[in-house]
Amino acid sequence: MKVSFQALSRHLDLAGVTADRVAEVLPMLGLEVESVTTFGLAPLPLVVVGEIKSFDKHPKADRLSVCQVDVGDGAIRQIVCGAKNFKAGDRVPVALPGTVMPGGFAISVSKLRDVDSAGMMCSSEELGLGKGEDGLLILTPRQPALGTPLNALFGAPDTVLEISVTPNRGDCLGIRGVARDLAAALGLTLKPLAVKTAAGFASAPSAADAVKFVRSSSEFCPYYTLRTLKNVKVGPSPEWLRRDLEAAGLRPINNVVDITNWVLLELGQPLHAFDAKKVSEGIEARPAREGEEIVLLDGKKVKLETGVCVIADAQRPLVVAGVMGGVDSGVTESTTEVLLEAAWFRPGEIRRVARRIGVSTDSSHRFARDVDPAGVELASRLATDLLIELAGAQVAGPAVAVGKPPRADVTIELPAGYVAAKLGTPIADADVNAAFARLGFTVKPSAAGFSVLVPSFRSDVTRPIDLVEEFIRIHGTDKVPAGRPIAPLPGDEDALTSVFTREISARLVGAGFTECCHYSLRDAAELERTLGADKAALVAMDNPLTAEQTHLRASLVPGLAGALALNLSVHADPHGLFEVGTVFRPQADGTVREFISVAFAIVAEPVTRSWKSREAFDALRAKRFLQDAAALAGVASVRLSFAAATGGLWQADHAATLVDRGRAAEGACGVLDLRWTRSLGLKSSVIAGEVCFPRSAFAEARKIPRFEAFSSFPPVTKDVAVIVPLDIAAAEVESRVRQGASKAAGKEFALESVNCFDVFTGPGLPEGHRSLAFEIRWRHAARTLTDEETNQALGVVIATLEKGAGWTVRR
Amino acid sequence: MQQQLAQLVAAATQEASAVATRAELEAFKARVVGPNGSLTQVMKGMATLSKEERPVVGKLINEAKKSVEELLAVLLVKVENAEIAAALGASVDPTLPSPDAPAGSLHPLSRTRERILASFRKLGFVVADGPEVETEWHCFDALNTPADHPARDMQDTLYMPKAFRSADAPRKADEAILLRTHTSSVQVRTMLSRKPPFRIVAPGRCFRRDAVDATHSANFHQVEGLWIDRNVTLADLRGVLDFFVKETFGADAEIRLRPSFFPFTEPSFEMDLRSPNLGRLSNRWLEIMGCGLVDPKVLELCGLDPNEWSGLAFGLGLERIAMLVHGIDDIRHFYNNDTRFLRQFA
Repeated sequence: MKVSFQALSRHLDLAGVTADRVAEVLPMLGLEVESVTTFGLAPLPLVVVGEIKSFDKHPKADRLSVCQVDVGDGAIRQIVCGAKNFKAGDRVPVALPGTVMPGGFAISVSKLRDVDSAGMMCSSEELGLGKGEDGLLILTPRQPALGTPLNALFGAPDTVLEISVTPNRGDCLGIRGVARDLAAALGLTLKPLAVKTAAGFASAPSAADAVKFVRSSSEFCPYYTLRTLKNVKVGPSPEWLRRDLEAAGLRPINNVVDITNWVLLELGQPLHAFDAKKVSEGIEARPAREGEEIVLLDGKKVKLETGVCVIADAQRPLVVAGVMGGVDSGVTESTTEVLLEAAWFRPGEIRRVARRIGVSTDSSHRFARDVDPAGVELASRLATDLLIELAGAQVAGPAVAVGKPPRADVTIELPAGYVAAKLGTPIADADVNAAFARLGFTVKPSAAGFSVLVPSFRSDVTRPIDLVEEFIRIHGTDKVPAGRPIAPLPGDEDALTSVFTREISARLVGAGFTECCHYSLRDAAELERTLGADKAALVAMDNPLTAEQTHLRASLVPGLAGALALNLSVHADPHGLFEVGTVFRPQADGTVREFISVAFAIVAEPVTRSWKSREAFDALRAKRFLQDAAALAGVASVRLSFAAATGGLWQADHAATLVDRGRAAEGACGVLDLRWTRSLGLKSSVIAGEVCFPRSAFAEARKIPRFEAFSSFPPVTKDVAVIVPLDIAAAEVESRVRQGASKAAGKEFALESVNCFDVFTGPGLPEGHRSLAFEIRWRHAARTLTDEETNQALGVVIATLEKGAGWTVRR
Repeated sequence: MQQQLAQLVAAATQEASAVATRAELEAFKARVVGPNGSLTQVMKGMATLSKEERPVVGKLINEAKKSVEELLAVLLVKVENAEIAAALGASVDPTLPSPDAPAGSLHPLSRTRERILASFRKLGFVVADGPEVETEWHCFDALNTPADHPARDMQDTLYMPKAFRSADAPRKADEAILLRTHTSSVQVRTMLSRKPPFRIVAPGRCFRRDAVDATHSANFHQVEGLWIDRNVTLADLRGVLDFFVKETFGADAEIRLRPSFFPFTEPSFEMDLRSPNLGRLSNRWLEIMGCGLVDPKVLELCGLDPNEWSGLAFGLGLERIAMLVHGIDDIRHFYNNDTRFLRQFA
């Protein structure tokens, strides 16, 4: 919304108030000023009218002319000029040496390609008057006297403030609304609006009207008015009207359209003008019928959704109500009778329809923000005044109104002391009421405190809390002191997701990993790789903006692999990278679940050379990270099982998936699919790991561990080695060892640990077999175990193991 | 006798120079002071001496014994040193660089987030969270922004298809499922699940259908704050925000509350910050966050009686704060993950 200082001055006496002051005050009222620009000619005392007496071609430059210019001071000045659009005898603006042009360029006596030049002749653009015709601004038709300062010709410049109006302040989409707020803030009085056209409506058209009927049968149009204006002479608008529209960023069209636009800017009430001759019989605001179409003013043909409100004549829809008119009923040069519409439409519906059609007009923007029903008549009368004055129109009689204003002024019961209580600082009710009076609200004492009558132009003020905002806007937020000191609430703890994120991040940073942050929105190819095509479709968005960001991420690993590649490509050693964040995974029941994911990735071969080599990061080290992360999230290692991973992001035979019996964790670790990582430009293989926890895993507070007593007697350890076929997983053998060792301990003593300490394949073993060796440790709570007991226990373990098909215990 | 002892000590001294290992040391010790050692033999000879000779000879023997013991002590240190050298290998040049990778670093957004959370924790706010994919009801309706409210135009939203079902944000009816446009949805979830009074801060990821450029990102992070209690006032809001800003930007930072509009707060404000320590952005009012008192309508929609409870709420952009604090000029740096950027904030 562009508001000029001159426009505001029509409604307020701004003597002694600068535009800068206005630009300071408005933001603190909630009217953010986005830009302040000069409209018109800035003060340029040294730019005067001159006449080009004669000119010659520049001796050294084909495109330049050497002009002899008279500015009326008795001397002829030589000025070099690059423009072509002039002839001898033309009067043009001349910037004399010492001028600083609006763009900051200083004019001085100089030489241009060795020819003296004593000033500059100016174009419209150079003077800050906007883009005019190419070349010099030719003033000849205006017949100005030589030496006249250009400012005398163009009048004083104006300042235009571009205001960002929040959705609640529909009233400030008209200049008078902004002026009203400014008046309240500065303690000024709003000038009354002088309107000559009489108030009052007829309930049906008379013989003098150009229509036979005016009706509304749409629930979205509770209030509709239409006025007939005859003998209208359509033509260009006067200078002041054109100027006002241009200052507000609108293009003048003709006097009738310009008047409706001017009133819209002035009061915020959109109007519509029909060519009465193009309207068949009458006007009705009605629901669109099935299959109806309309060609809008912008040339777009729109199929109307059944039921949307249209303004129609007896035959066809003419306007999408409140949004945009059609091409074939508007005012043109040949129009002589005008039907002037002023109405009120339901805001939500206008917004919905405008979005659906895909247009936003000055009209729909305002109707969607609830225009003042009481302003409908005023706008119609003001526009009628101007149509009479500027287009010679004659009024046939009163306007016709159907329906009635849907809202009226609102009375709010404000309890005494309410505002002070909400502010948290003492404020006298008298001060509060004075602020309301400045805003045009009427305050009366009532039983509970005060009755505040809020005029209908403020549709956003309906409750006591809204009055608090009104008060603080006028009173100033800087007068509210900082509040009471606060004591924490006992027993309140951070969400466990947050605690976990912090702790796991700290650990990974300590282990040398650098945290990354990738976009959550990924492309289809990545999701298909991660989840497979079927499941990828389940995390696709409905209205993505770009082809690169169409899906929700299901894994953090692809982002990290990409980051490794990026860093290596710029010769930065990434070391290890990690990320903690939300991923989205389709579930068996068809839902998509959010998981808190922790992932890391590192290239297997060191990037930076070192004088001393270290053991490379491998899949089983990644496994340890996953187990530790799970433990931190409250998922004990014993609940986790690992199995060989197949496909997707992971390299077959070199990666594992992780499954939690309690379904509170899932993940994978190992080498990333080598063809994929190579395609990213990564030469070395990449080791990665990811473990994800559903939000529900963090729902319950962690248990505080209880102390368990331990034995003070020494343990006994026994080793057992078993030869098993290669396809038997180590976990299966270990589990069998545990089973036997626990059974052997029974209730008398306890199995303390089983630890795989050797894996061997090679000479001495049968083909297709390997040997796994375990150290078993037992302990008694109350005494030292005897040799006999432990030998017997070992026997049980051996017997258990040898039940496995093709399993042999080495002796 | 005196000569014999001197010879003995001299011989032992000479022999000692050859001792290098613990075994050699033990053997040498046995040869000199063992039961049949040379010195032991001499000491045994004392018995044959006369009363007069004994003190003289005894003194000499003691001196010899002392010399031998000193010799053995020196040898023990020598042998132990040799053993340690053998166990540890060659000496270390402490000026060589460590071959291990240095500690990693937190992402500047995480670092900024933790700093912000820490300052709010001091005021008794605890961290809350909620799903990133939300129902339209939690993201808009419950926040007093019904469909076709013009406030919905303030942001463009990414939606999931009709068939999409979220396990974390099930539909109440047939409302749309969307990517939350602000963390304010956590306000709603907290009010529905907790009994007041409480104070929460909710950091999290948000999404808007925005083209990516130096100041816009398809996803970004916010920190939401909500305090529900009896008689929460505008002065409380100012107190909380003033504290936060001084914690984050230093004691000479100032704030101002500029009236604005959000459907879920009334009155609503933009909080502007001015600080002399922000490089080329110093000493200018900068818009930092939206805030206000919780609109009574929101309390009602979230099942709290607005006559009993009141609240304040605020929401700030993490990227914006991190950019101001660190002088970062392009939001895309946060998502590029070039370690030359990431490691600057360790």
